[in-house]
Amino acid sequence: MDPRDRDRSKKKQFRKKFLFRKKKFCKFCEEKIPYIDYKDARLLQGFTPERGKIFPRRISGTCAKHQRELMQAIKRARNIALLPFTAD
Amino acid sequence: MVKYESIFISDPAATDDEVAALVKGFEESILAGSGKVLRVERWGKRRLAYRVGRHEDGNYTLLHIECPPGAARELERRYRMNDRIIKYLTVRLDRDLPEVPPVGAEPAAEQPARAAETE
Repeated sequence: MDPRDRDRSKKKQFRKKFLFRKKKFCKFCEEKIPYIDYKDARLLQGFTPERGKIFPRRISGTCAKHQRELMQAIKRARNIALLPFTAD
Repeated sequence: MVKYESIFISDPAATDDEVAALVKGFEESILAGSGKVLRVERWGKRRLAYRVGRHEDGNYTLLHIECPPGAARELERRYRMNDRIIKYLTVRLDRDLPEVPPVGAEPAAEQPARAAETE
């Protein structure tokens, strides 16, 4: 196979993978949530997948400001046993 | 005067009357510290996300208070001294909160994780 061909098909794959990806958005900006409440365990749970870790910004699309507030809220919720530190 | 939100988890074995007595005691201590209690919310018994000591469940109570910092410190001291209280958290409110409906008694569905110690 011509190495250039392979190169081209790779490029095609790349475009397929990334070009049509859904645009990420910050849930809190979108819904105009003014205060991320640490008591709202159900909301926070959406940002702590199985293991109970905090969902990274690059994946969830949360903006920097809200990620900071979210982090604070999750840590508080953990402290008062509304969210687990770890889950298996 | 600073606004605080304080949550304490009491022993689920405690009766309603006992919890009421606890709350009353704390209210009095805040009043004595020239503060005031804005709101008391009883969430009732909930499953803890992880085991605290030997407890799987806890009885949550939330207090909104406005008091000088000293009174809040006193409140936390009382929490620590009371062996009916298994965990507490006090947070300063920097701004007025939107009225949030009380957190429902929906159980945190997942299995309680292993005992994780904090603080």
